[in-house]
Amino acid sequence: MRPLFFILTLVIGAVVGLGLTWFATANGNGPGVVRAGAWKAWPKAGTETADPYARAAAARAGELPLELADGLAFVAVTDDRGAPLDGRCDIRLSGTVPQARFWTLTLTDRDGNLIDNAADRHGFTSTEVVWKRDGTADVVLGPRARAGNWLPTGARDRLTLTLRLYDAPVGLASRTSDAPDMPALVTERCP
Amino acid sequence: MKRLVIPILAGLVLGVLVHLVGVLLMPYLAERDAYARLSEVGQVNAVTLVENRRLLAEALPASDPAFVTAVCLYDLTVAPLKVRTPTTEDYTSISFYTRRGLPFYAINDRSAGRTIIELDLMNARQKAAMPEDEEVTVADRLVVESPTQKGIVVIRGLARERGAREEVQAAIASATCTPTPASE
Repeated sequence: MRPLFFILTLVIGAVVGLGLTWFATANGNGPGVVRAGAWKAWPKAGTETADPYARAAAARAGELPLELADGLAFVAVTDDRGAPLDGRCDIRLSGTVPQARFWTLTLTDRDGNLIDNAADRHGFTSTEVVWKRDGTADVVLGPRARAGNWLPTGARDRLTLTLRLYDAPVGLASRTSDAPDMPALVTERCP
Repeated sequence: MKRLVIPILAGLVLGVLVHLVGVLLMPYLAERDAYARLSEVGQVNAVTLVENRRLLAEALPASDPAFVTAVCLYDLTVAPLKVRTPTTEDYTSISFYTRRGLPFYAINDRSAGRTIIELDLMNARQKAAMPEDEEVTVADRLVVESPTQKGIVVIRGLARERGAREEVQAAIASATCTPTPASE
C-alpha cells in the first residue's frame, strides 16, 4: 500500500501544481489587476517590479507588456453583464474614455489575431473615431456594415477588445487613484 | 479512507510548491518567449522594421496595430549602444526590455522633449567607466542602464489615421541602433 500512497501524492502534486500554473498564466496577468466594468488592466505588469505571475504570463504568451511609462492597456472579453463578446451580435461601446494624449481601440479574437474584413478595419485611434457632441465615444461592433463608428466582427464568436491609453495621467498609471470610468459595453441585438 | 487523508494533503502541499516553482521558472523555461520570437525577424544591434501585420502578430503578440513598430535586439557585451529615432507628429516611443521580457525603461517624444530621441544604453560596468569629466555632457545625454547584457528595444510610432502611416513608417525606418566605442 505504501508506494501506492506515495504515487498518489505525486500525482495530486503534479496535477494541482501544473493545473494552477496553467490557470494562473492563461487567464490574464495575475493578482495585480485593476477592474473597471468589464475592463481589466495590469499596470504593474508594465514596470520593472512586475510580479512573478505577470512575468510568467508574458513569457508564456511571448508578449512584451506595454510599459507603464508608455501607456496602459485595458482588456475586455465580456460585456458589462459578463456575457462573452460575441461577434454575431451588435455590441455598443459608449461613454467617456479616461484622459490620455492618445488612445487606440483594437478588436481581435481571443488569441490576439486581427479579424480579417473587407473594410480592413481593426480598430480606431482617438483621432479617427467620430466623437459625439457631448464628448463621449460611441462605437458599434457587429457583423454587418453600418454608418458611424463601426468595427467589423466577421461574425466570430469570442472576441477581445483592447483599449490602450498612451501618455495617461500619473495617478491612473501608478494606481494611486481608483479604477477610472471606462466606456460601457452592452450587447444590443443577437440573432 | 482515513489513510488517504495524508497522501491527499501532502499532494496538495506538493501541488502548491510545484505551482510556485513553475511560475518562477516560467520566464526562463518558456521557449517561445518574446526574445525567441523576435530573433526570427530581427537582428542583434540593428533595427528591423516589422511592417507586415501578420509577421508582427506572430513575432510580437498583443502589439498595437495602430503603431508602426521596429525592433532591435541588443547585446552590450562588446560596447554600449546608441539608440536614435526621429519623432513623428504623433506619439513616438522607445521601450526597453530585458532578455526575459521585463520592462525597465520607456520614453516618449514628449518626455524626451525634442524632435530626435537619442539614448545611450549601457550595462553597469560601462556606465561606471564613463569618464568623470563627461558629467557636463551627461546632463544632455540620456543614459539608460540595462540590468542585463542582452535585451530588446522596441521603437514605435503611432499612425493616427491610415493616411499618416507612410510618413510614420519613413520616420521609424530611419531609427538606428548602433554599437558605439566605449571611449568617445
